[in-house]
Amino acid sequence: VKVQALQYGDRKVYTVSAFNRGVADWLSRLPTLWIEGEVTELKRQESWQTVFFTLKDPEDGACLRVTMGRGRFDALELGLENGRRVHVYGRPELFEAKGDFRLRALSIEHYGLGDHLAALERLKTKLAGEGLFASERKRRLPSFPRRVGLVTGNDAAAKRDVLTAIQTRFPPARVLVAETYVQGPYAAGAMIDALAALCRHDELDVIVLARGGGSFEDLLPFSDERLVRAVASCPVPVVSAVGHEQDSPLCDLAADARASTPSVAARLVVPDADELVQRLDRARAGLVRGARRTVERNRERLERAHERLRRAPASTLERRSARLEHAAGRLRALAPHATLERGYAIVRTGDAILRSADGLTEGARVEVELAEGGFGARVEDVR
Amino acid sequence: VSEPQTFESAQRELEQIVERLETGQAPLDETIKLWERGEELYRFCRGQLDAAHGRIEELAQRQQPA
Repeated sequence: VKVQALQYGDRKVYTVSAFNRGVADWLSRLPTLWIEGEVTELKRQESWQTVFFTLKDPEDGACLRVTMGRGRFDALELGLENGRRVHVYGRPELFEAKGDFRLRALSIEHYGLGDHLAALERLKTKLAGEGLFASERKRRLPSFPRRVGLVTGNDAAAKRDVLTAIQTRFPPARVLVAETYVQGPYAAGAMIDALAALCRHDELDVIVLARGGGSFEDLLPFSDERLVRAVASCPVPVVSAVGHEQDSPLCDLAADARASTPSVAARLVVPDADELVQRLDRARAGLVRGARRTVERNRERLERAHERLRRAPASTLERRSARLEHAAGRLRALAPHATLERGYAIVRTGDAILRSADGLTEGARVEVELAEGGFGARVEDVR
Repeated sequence: VSEPQTFESAQRELEQIVERLETGQAPLDETIKLWERGEELYRFCRGQLDAAHGRIEELAQRQQPA
């Protein structure tokens, strides 16, 4: 296409139409490409020849307007809705009449499982590289949470199951429920808001993020980078109770703990009331036992002391009496009678006790005293 | 005769008296006095223990589930 310019002296000037035609021509030489984004503002009417929608970059919200012939669009039978992620094959063009830049779509494909998986794997590698999933980042869950936050769908079975499990295990538990979207294009943002809203409550010590099982696509919001980051940076520990055992959304990796079932979640966030009561009962029984034992021990000690006390004066007296007996014995041993008992005899002349044979004469009369009785005798010979 | 302050001090004093009596070192008239003091201490301690026992059983009773 040759674009003619008007000549005003040295200046070349283009009409709008000519300019648009020129740009359109230039754009038409760009290659046909695949472009990835989320569908928004989808407009399709039976009376229109063209279907319009906007393709949005989920990362930063950059937008691109897209058109497609209605016949071609309908033939694809995509059942396209706002919020769906797609790959669009098309080329850029300028709608000359309006000067509107847009993408003319030749084909549209749902963002497939393989694409999701590849994107998830890339995201996982990236976040792991940042250390978001590191085990040393995991926080300990409180053993006695003052309040438990629960982020869940508004009528989800998961909500009922988790609430029931928590209240069965620990009836006095206080649970703050934040109902939100848990599926679809707005889920990730809504859940981030719900987390933030819960965290503004006083006494909130732990949050459970719960959703029942679902298709791979249903669980995709739980792998949304923004949500995963929000979970990792949440001021209180987060338990991820999303999907079933085999599901592994990225928020599981960023959470402080993962629960494969509602009852596991309950076990993680609240103590077992029955067990606590039993422990308390045992402690109380121990208290009574301990108190009784202390009294008994002291009683035994006191009774032992008392028994000794009762015996002590008597034994003192016994000891004293024994000493007295001993002294008396020694006294008695010194008396003459005791000497006579041992076989000695006392010999007297008149009243005088004989200690020597000197002065004795043969035929003299002496008196002999024995232990038992005595007799008179005459001296036969003196030596 | 001074009143003992606590169960423990009374119990200690009682045991000291017993030891003193058992060594038989105390003069005879003092022995009687010590013995009387010991009996007094015993009655005091015994009273304290009985009171504590009663209180414990009372509390244990109250703990029985209704």
